[in-house]
Amino acid sequence: MLCEKCKKKEATVMYKESINGHKSSYALCADCAAEIGAFDSTKKLISDPFENMNSLFGSLFGLAPYKKSTGVDVKRCNLCGASFNELAAEGMAGCPNCYSEFEDELSATIARIHGSSVHTGAAPAKYMEGREKKKQIEAVEKELHDAVAAEEYEKAATLRDKLRELKSDEGGMK
Amino acid sequence: MMWYELTGKDSDVVVSSRVRLARNLCDYPFGKRLDESGAKEIIEKVRSVFEGVGDYTFTDYSTLDPTVKSAEYERHKISREFAEAKTPTALIESDEKNLYIMLLEEDHIRIQSIMAGLSLNEAYASASSADTLIDSSLRIAYNEKLGYLTHCPTNLGTGMRASVMMFLPGITAAGGIRSLQNQLGKLGLTIRGMSGEGSASNGCLYQISNQVTLGNSECEILTKLTEICEKITEQERSLREKMKADESGRFTDRIMRSYGTMLYATLIDTSELVKLYADVRLGACLGIIDRVTPKTLDEILVRGMPNVITLENRGAVNANRRDRCRAEMVRYVLAGASEK
Ligand SMILES: [Zn+2]
Ligand SMILES: [Zn+2]
Repeated sequence: MLCEKCKKKEATVMYKESINGHKSSYALCADCAAEIGAFDSTKKLISDPFENMNSLFGSLFGLAPYKKSTGVDVKRCNLCGASFNELAAEGMAGCPNCYSEFEDELSATIARIHGSSVHTGAAPAKYMEGREKKKQIEAVEKELHDAVAAEEYEKAATLRDKLRELKSDEGGMK
Repeated sequence: MMWYELTGKDSDVVVSSRVRLARNLCDYPFGKRLDESGAKEIIEKVRSVFEGVGDYTFTDYSTLDPTVKSAEYERHKISREFAEAKTPTALIESDEKNLYIMLLEEDHIRIQSIMAGLSLNEAYASASSADTLIDSSLRIAYNEKLGYLTHCPTNLGTGMRASVMMFLPGITAAGGIRSLQNQLGKLGLTIRGMSGEGSASNGCLYQISNQVTLGNSECEILTKLTEICEKITEQERSLREKMKADESGRFTDRIMRSYGTMLYATLIDTSELVKLYADVRLGACLGIIDRVTPKTLDEILVRGMPNVITLENRGAVNANRRDRCRAEMVRYVLAGASEK
């Protein structure tokens, strides 16, 4: 798709603006986007924590790389049917599955909102069990390593059996 | 008992603490992509989880009178968006546990717990108990990297928004709200005036909440927010003492005039009530008025909101009648408070 402003270069950025409640969006090349200050206005939005959350993240989404669409075979979420451009326009996911379907496309946006973080909080029970098991395995692996280093081979053998046991019923997860 | 009928920790400065958890079911789309039959399936699935479990009640919000919904919003039990939704919604609630579970707000499930005073951990424990119950029988959308998957990416991770409603007349009068805003922003927290911006129009009530939901555990978020609210509380208290020390007597006079209005006025509109609330609550906290507790004033403020007034008073059919009922309610509650 060509830039809607200069109509010469390839569009790489979706620029969205809202004036007096009237929303419009344009596909722009990097130069034209810089010229109209699309990036600056976004910076200002990020540093102001009191902006309306939805409009803030709507525009963050909008600046994600704009993919060339070749008409028919646009990638769509297999659960809700949304395309990435639709999500970008809405600033919201279409369904839980969108997060895995568009993982690459969304990663930059999510990093911009939350920093490059991984979840460390509570989890549904079945994931908690998995986490517990993983911790146990790591602890036994360390013990085994130490036992081998100290040439305590009998102890190492017992630990190896324990490890095998732990790993064997791990399969249920994921 | 509702949160505003109870007294909590640091109630001179902290009005209430609220924790909200966003949860979604794996196999259903969000928002406008969810059709009516999908919405009804979700409502039915969550309803059946709570069926026969203790003191929860289920209400179909789709067919509920808008005044009732708005009154529940004014009581801080549900969000404004939820009260105004045009699509199928339902509420599962337990006043006993201070739990309000909104079905099909922005997310499929939003568990909200609100408690008096600074009590974020207690509110979280309550919300978490409902979360565990739901998790035990429904498949909740979650992945190990992003945590709980939510409609809006701003809620990913814990899906938790913790907020504390603070009464800050001292910091407001000292012109410190803007600088507080800036400091909190750097800490990943936000502060919002309760209604409208600035000064007395919002009753000096501010809501402070976490902004980032991914990367920190619930415990870390709650501990940080609690610590910061404790610091703000200290600062607020020392600024109030300075106000009280005013030798001209104008400060005490203003408070007693507002108290006098509450005791004797026969017509009070909402914005006047909010202004009187701020003065009299401050006077009660500083011991200038000794017959009234902060909790009594919080109750007056909630019960004085337009939809609550309409709901609790048969005759409150127009604005003038509401102002009359509001003034009556204020006199009645204050008379009850001074008898104790
Ligand atoms: Zn261009
Ligand atoms: Zn989807």
